[in-house]
Amino acid sequence: MYSFNFGVIEANADKFLYGLALGLGLALAAIVVGTLIGLACAFATRARARLPRMLVSGYVSAIRNTPLLVIVLFAYFALPQIGIKLGKYETFIVSLAIYSGAYLTEVFRAGLLGVPKGVVDAGRAIGLTGLQVALHVISPIMLRNSLPALGSTFISLFKDTSLAAVIAIPELTYQARKLNTETFRVAEAWATASVLYLSTCLIIAAGLRQLERRFPKF
Amino acid sequence: MDKRKFALLAGIAAMVMASGFGNTALAEGRLEQILQRGKLIVGTGTGNPPWHFRDEAGDMKGFDVDVAKIVAKGLFGDDTKIEFVNQASDARIPNIVTDKVDMTCQFMTVTAERAQQVNFTIPYYREGVGLMLGAGGKYKTHEEMKTAGSAVTVSVLQNVYAEDMVHYALPGAKVDQYESIDLAYQALNSGRADAVATDMSSLQWFMKQNPGKYVDAGYGWGPQTYSCAIKRGDQDFLNFVNTALHEALTGVEFATYAASFENWFGVKPPEPKIGFPSELR
Repeated sequence: MYSFNFGVIEANADKFLYGLALGLGLALAAIVVGTLIGLACAFATRARARLPRMLVSGYVSAIRNTPLLVIVLFAYFALPQIGIKLGKYETFIVSLAIYSGAYLTEVFRAGLLGVPKGVVDAGRAIGLTGLQVALHVISPIMLRNSLPALGSTFISLFKDTSLAAVIAIPELTYQARKLNTETFRVAEAWATASVLYLSTCLIIAAGLRQLERRFPKF
Repeated sequence: MDKRKFALLAGIAAMVMASGFGNTALAEGRLEQILQRGKLIVGTGTGNPPWHFRDEAGDMKGFDVDVAKIVAKGLFGDDTKIEFVNQASDARIPNIVTDKVDMTCQFMTVTAERAQQVNFTIPYYREGVGLMLGAGGKYKTHEEMKTAGSAVTVSVLQNVYAEDMVHYALPGAKVDQYESIDLAYQALNSGRADAVATDMSSLQWFMKQNPGKYVDAGYGWGPQTYSCAIKRGDQDFLNFVNTALHEALTGVEFATYAASFENWFGVKPPEPKIGFPSELR
């Protein structure tokens, strides 16, 4: 019979919290870059020219059909052997950003599809330029449309930072695994990591719901 | 019959009986049991090259296996008269104590604590931690790495003493812990680490599999002695196994031992010095 002992968790609380903070930092950096990629690609799908649309659809299907772990391992171990070497953290952030960029492209594209054509026409009618319509008419509506899907993408992005453990980045999963090998407190280590992931995700979700509620309705 | 004669006879009878019992006791010793049985039963594992593993043909191979074969050859003049019992590391002592095996040779680290439960034979290998570098890399030796301080990254298999283990040899080095040793090797290949630190025997085996690609930094630390173990209390059998091993390390069977050593670790063991026996110096 397994007897619980959370003393080791208490003694290593600082490591768990450091791991959690590191995971949040990685996610935040990836979200910023991924959102930029997603926005650019989503607008590119609306372009009249065929090339940008084809490039974006190629990128989205290639990345969405490859496991993130494979992308991370490829970027960390394989790229340096063909001469592309970023640091450990940079490698992970770039991998996660490129990965999330593909999902965010789809999120924003769906948001764009939900922008009524009449509103765009109205913008043109009052003499706005194409860029002004995109910035002041399309973007706010698209963002409003995208918010719910955006929230779930952000949350899964944060959970994906657990994969950084594989390339020796000392985030939450790494700390839990380390404590597990060191103390054999397997249930305590993974339970603590689960609870930390769960509660952090719930907090992020609640924050995003608040944002959704406060966002101006159209 | 006077009393003195009676006492003398009784004394002789007692001596005969005692020596007779002594003989039966000897006949029931492990050595005689094994000789009567016609094969040696050895406990070892199957999944740890270069120590003990099954090759493609399903045959037991490895350095532990070869050491056991040396003992079998000493018993029967035939190193195939041996039965291997597959056991996990945590079964090493229990299987000896419960007579499931005559002897265990399974990279077993000698500790005084374990010696309270089993008898260890003389050692056949001294394990330690080593550093493996890429051939033609930035660093060539342990000294260079030590001087470079925190500029050095060492990849290791995640374990309890990983940080302390590396810092003993390289106090300033950064330590990246991976969840499998393959990833630690891969980190070296990808230039993510300057060296891999792990058991010297694993490094030597890996270097043997990949000739010319890696070099040993020339420093080993964290010694651990590997010996076979037998059940406690049979000094006669212990003497026999010790003799067989001793003569493999320093005597007539040295060629067998040396060939096996070189086969698994890629380097020759030092030749025994001819003349005065060095162990008695």
